[in-house]
Amino acid sequence: MSQFDQEPPQWAIRFLRFYCKPRALEIIEGDAYELFYKRIESEGIQTARKKFSWDVLRFFRLRYIKGLEDINSLNNIAMLKNYLKISIRSLVKQRFYSFINISGLALGLAACLLIVLYIGHELSYDKYHKDIDKLFYVANNQSGAYTPARLGIQMKQDFPEVAEIARIQGPYAQTFMANGQAFKVSKGFNADSTFHRIFSIQFIEGNPDEALTEPNSIVLTKSLSDRIFNYESALGKIVTVNGETIQVTGVVADPPKNTHFDFDYINSYPNESWVTIGNWTGNNFFTYAKLTPGATAEQVKARIPDLVREHIGPELIKYSGHASFDDFVAAGGKKTFSLIPMSKLHLHYPNLALRSSGSIDNVYVFGAVALFILIIACINFMNLSTARSAMRSKEIGMRKVLGSLRSQLINQFLLESFLVCTLATVLALVIASAVLPYFNQLANREFSYSELFDISTLVRLFVLMLIVGFLAGSYPAFVLSAFKPIKALKGEAQKGSKGKVFLRQGLVAFQFAISIFLLVSTIIVYTQLQFLGKQELGFKPDQVLLVKNAFRLEDKGTSMMNRLRAMPSIEAVTLSNQYPSGSVSDWGYQTVEDNPRSYSFNTFFATDRFIETMGIELLEGRNFNNDMVSDTANIIVNEATVRWLGADDPLGQKLSRGDGEDYTIIGIMKDFNFRSLKQDIKPFVLRLMGKDGRMEADWFAGNYLSLKVSGDYQNTLKAVEDLWYETVPDEPFEYTFLDESFNALYQEEERFGNLFTASSGLAIAIACLGLFALAAFTLERRYKEIAVRKVLGASVQKLTLMIIRQFTWLVLIGALIALPFGFLVMKDWLSAFAYQIDLSNPIIWLIPVLAVSTIAWLTVGYQSVKTAMGNPVKALRSE
Amino acid sequence: MARINIGEFEELVLLVVAILNDNAYGISVMEEIEVQTNRKINISAVHSALDRLEGKGFLNSHVGGATKERGGRRKRYFKINTAGQEALNFIRDQRNKLHDQIPNLGLEYVSI
Repeated sequence: MSQFDQEPPQWAIRFLRFYCKPRALEIIEGDAYELFYKRIESEGIQTARKKFSWDVLRFFRLRYIKGLEDINSLNNIAMLKNYLKISIRSLVKQRFYSFINISGLALGLAACLLIVLYIGHELSYDKYHKDIDKLFYVANNQSGAYTPARLGIQMKQDFPEVAEIARIQGPYAQTFMANGQAFKVSKGFNADSTFHRIFSIQFIEGNPDEALTEPNSIVLTKSLSDRIFNYESALGKIVTVNGETIQVTGVVADPPKNTHFDFDYINSYPNESWVTIGNWTGNNFFTYAKLTPGATAEQVKARIPDLVREHIGPELIKYSGHASFDDFVAAGGKKTFSLIPMSKLHLHYPNLALRSSGSIDNVYVFGAVALFILIIACINFMNLSTARSAMRSKEIGMRKVLGSLRSQLINQFLLESFLVCTLATVLALVIASAVLPYFNQLANREFSYSELFDISTLVRLFVLMLIVGFLAGSYPAFVLSAFKPIKALKGEAQKGSKGKVFLRQGLVAFQFAISIFLLVSTIIVYTQLQFLGKQELGFKPDQVLLVKNAFRLEDKGTSMMNRLRAMPSIEAVTLSNQYPSGSVSDWGYQTVEDNPRSYSFNTFFATDRFIETMGIELLEGRNFNNDMVSDTANIIVNEATVRWLGADDPLGQKLSRGDGEDYTIIGIMKDFNFRSLKQDIKPFVLRLMGKDGRMEADWFAGNYLSLKVSGDYQNTLKAVEDLWYETVPDEPFEYTFLDESFNALYQEEERFGNLFTASSGLAIAIACLGLFALAAFTLERRYKEIAVRKVLGASVQKLTLMIIRQFTWLVLIGALIALPFGFLVMKDWLSAFAYQIDLSNPIIWLIPVLAVSTIAWLTVGYQSVKTAMGNPVKALRSE
Repeated sequence: MARINIGEFEELVLLVVAILNDNAYGISVMEEIEVQTNRKINISAVHSALDRLEGKGFLNSHVGGATKERGGRRKRYFKINTAGQEALNFIRDQRNKLHDQIPNLGLEYVSI
């Protein structure tokens, strides 16, 4: 057999033909074959085949690998290359405009990226739970979040659609002991043993089904377990919680960030009857239900009225005094429950369940802001590209003459816009990662860099980039490609039709409108916040130090308070069950009249120095005295209560809790704001507790110890802390200043204000960048006109004014659009407040318009003056 | 003359092409180098050196000479041009000039 009948390895040849440039292929293949045949003679077929393969591999060099033009022989690729080259050249040639375009877009994209990250996170809440569409929260339509103990159990018994229920309570802050140190853990819950069938919770140690079946069992998160047990296994070990010993029956993975049920530990319920069987009238539990496959919430809702009638009805009429449940309903009584999808809890019902920090309004506001900023950046891009089109009209004319189709030109300009977008996107990522910490503050979330550079975020950014590239690029693309070649080459297209100028100016006006709107919003939010801050609260929170967990003092309370009173810098001391700016409970009272009226009064319990400590003014009557036993049957009310009573002489009147439990009004306080100023002052009742905070023999309700401090805060605080640890060494000293606590009520609003400041600043900055470039460009085009005007005698001032006047019109048109819109939106926002600023104040509306005009004048004016001052000879001499 | 940008291996290939005169193509150049210098080289290295030299304008090439030994595929023949010869001369002159300037180091150094 001749050596020429032998064949080298097929894969090697196929590989060679796959990668090799067609021009070099024949020569290389020839040489390889020649060597192959020679080697068969001298070295044998095996070696020859091996060496042939090796040679082919060695030829795999950049020099011989096919390029784009070899893969696709169509002209398209070559044209693409040409477009890219021309795009880059024109970007580099007009550095100034490119810079403004790219940086403006990058700012807009960065803002969008962060906001997309935020919105994506918000929408992802609780979606990780298995069967999320079957999970529901049972809400009490009359009293909100809490439901009766019995409800869930009965639902599961009676309703075939309910597969599983679980009740939880919390969050509780409790004291743990570890390594001889006490520390507070704030996110603690009680839950039924079925909780893991509702919530997807990953057990690391322990049996999920048995973890919470016994009383005094606790499930810890991994991080808490590691903290207490030093990274050792915790299962079966004992922890001390608030002085009680509890067995660890499970360790679970920390809940993810996007959950409304965020816990550190979960306690089992005691096996007492009020928990296991429960009653129908106390509302103490959050109830969650899981429906069976195929069941709908509507089916369950339809069954609820029957359940209420059968089980709750008999109990309700015992209290209401109606003869039957029908009478109760006829008298306007209501008792209904509804099922709320768990996936909607975070955004749509943040006040239910566990007070999730979500808000669908925030999602809308953030989304709108992102859109606004992006629109402004896109408008810049469109304006600059079309304005610059004149510069490129000759290129376009030439391309058309040489046979370019319109579609090809459109492609070219779209490609150019995508190129700018790509550069802007890269820059946007840099900007976004630089401002991420500030954004976290603004959004009250904790996004990490890994989330920012997460593949899903990047995909979103890429899609955003394509959309922006298309939106911003399509208008210039269609305008530029429509040039008539002859006119373009003659330079006539430079003039720009009236319609185009009108559109350009319209877009600029729109930019101003958005800027003014955002600025108006910013000013109104801040004025409102300042207004709230200046409101008379009716008491003096700035001097009050509030120590928490004072119920732990128990019997030592009296002596501790006496020692505190002895300190010279402490003017007054009081114990109370609640505090102003904290939560307030309602207690129902009836008037003692022929036709008793009943009302739920906001009620505080406190020792006798409460009014003094808080600095509330006593208008009439007298204060409590702990030494008078009879005072526990007396109350002090506020002016709002007096107004509600409608009595001329309220002192001595009685309010009743029923069954002869009557309270006499002995004093009237001036109205004071014990809640956020979003709400009006409601009727309020102050009742007396024992001087050591005791309500009953074993019930210490004095949760908060308030101290009126004068003078040296630092040393007083230190002295109080020392005294605290001396008295209750195993309870961490927790305190706050009452004014800080009040300010914290407006955190959400302040964030809102910060968001508007940031976004309006950004919007104005981007709009100005665009305006600056556009003005520069317009002036460049009118260089000769201005020179001629100057030669004919126009002064610099007149020329500058002439140019500025045009832009001022645009600001005014923008204001005309923005102000009514801003009025409507901000009126809606303000409606959430009981105390509102006066929107008819013209300053609120004038300042944004003036500010934006000033900025526009400065931007345009700088260039106008520069142009107007130029030597006209230079302008006229050229050509 | 401007600086000649040419590597050691390229110089070798250029010389061999000059020697082979009308019969210089990939394999003949490779074999000639192996015979003359006793060094093993891969055919791909020769090809890219030839291509580079052509790109630098020292070689001309034409295609032809399909034979049975290569399964009927053509060869690319290379031939040195004036620029290539000038380059070779220039390198040689420069080398000689440098060699001439080496001082006499004495026999004992040379013999080591």
